[in-house]
Amino acid sequence: MSLLNRLGRGHLDDTEMARLWTTGEPHAHLESCADCRGRYARFDSWLNGIGDELRAEADEAFPTDRLVVQQAQIARRLELLERPARVIAFPKAARAVISGHSNVRRWVTVAAAASLIAGGFGLGQIVPLRTAVQQQAAAVIKPQPHLTTAEATKRAEEFTAEAGGTKDDELLSNAFRSRVTSLNALDELTPHARDAGK
Amino acid sequence: MAGPSPALVASREADAAAASAVKALQGNGQLEEARERYAELVARHQRRAARIAYHYLRDGAEADEAVQDAFVKAYQHLASFREELPFDVWFTRILINGCLDRIKARTRRERWLLPMTGKAGGRGSTVVQAAEAGSTERDLTERVAAGGLSPEQALLGRERRREIAAALGKLPERQRSVFVLSHVEGRTSREVSALTGLNESTVRVHLFRAIRKLRTLLAPASDDTATKAPGELKGKRRVTS
Repeated sequence: MSLLNRLGRGHLDDTEMARLWTTGEPHAHLESCADCRGRYARFDSWLNGIGDELRAEADEAFPTDRLVVQQAQIARRLELLERPARVIAFPKAARAVISGHSNVRRWVTVAAAASLIAGGFGLGQIVPLRTAVQQQAAAVIKPQPHLTTAEATKRAEEFTAEAGGTKDDELLSNAFRSRVTSLNALDELTPHARDAGK
Repeated sequence: MAGPSPALVASREADAAAASAVKALQGNGQLEEARERYAELVARHQRRAARIAYHYLRDGAEADEAVQDAFVKAYQHLASFREELPFDVWFTRILINGCLDRIKARTRRERWLLPMTGKAGGRGSTVVQAAEAGSTERDLTERVAAGGLSPEQALLGRERRREIAAALGKLPERQRSVFVLSHVEGRTSREVSALTGLNESTVRVHLFRAIRKLRTLLAPASDDTATKAPGELKGKRRVTS
């Protein structure tokens, strides 16, 4: 209570009326002063008016038909609570194939490897590939017969006798001449070391 | 503030009986009967719940969801309901907690929204507020057409409500809760104390502060001169004349 009120002017201000309204306590001055009683009545109606306005606003936001719909929605939600939710499983195959640690993937790898091995073995049985390759190689490579020292000496003498008066240059030239006939033309064009001294 | 009225006492007894019956039916596995019985409780408390949720959230759709969630949650946890506490107090507490959670979530969400700078929302308003403004415009035309009010009356009423809502929005959270529950919903200080978890004397202090602040905020629009102390009025006149 303010000092002015205590000194005798005593009329209630808004704060005091708010306090009285909140607590509901009786007040001596309010009982005796008609002016303050009138103001308190107006204060009370103002406050009740606010309450009415707020209630009316909420009721306008929630008309009866909306409440009916809301009630139906609540009932439906309560009904759904009692039914266990149906969970649709995610396709397992897709996950297993994608996953790097799945058994399915492991089995697929093993099966693929096994089928490759079996297929290779079967093919080997049907086609005698190894024998064919060996025969072809034997036909291409003809092993040179080994010469003994006596035979080699004899062949050298024969060769010298055949050569007769031919010069060493020709012998050398013949020795280094290409044995592949198709390269002879190229050989003619190429300078040789043997020609360097001429 | 007076204690609970005889009608309220009777209503609470009916609530307690219905809640006990639903609990028993749930326990026996008679779920369809339990739901039917629970529908009585829903019908009895639905409007009040909608009002409270609306005043907390200030958004019809969100309040609707909050009310539905609260009823579903109450049904699920009815086993934990103790009969010594009135059902409406227990249920309202669930509802208020749900509303407060939604307000928190909304605040977090709005932190990422850009404020609207147009005329519709004003400075610092958000998209949500702009949407509300749009819906209010639609509401006005519907109300005028349906309610039989003149356009002027409807407009004045709308302005008045907007002022009150804005003033209520300026109150701190606890003051607003206490004001809505005790004044709009007509709860006693003890009930508000049970609902909010505050001390009874703290509830009264919050209510007093809320009224005082509302009086200050709404003074220009209300009949303020009539409720000022005569001494204050004289002083004012002396200054102005």
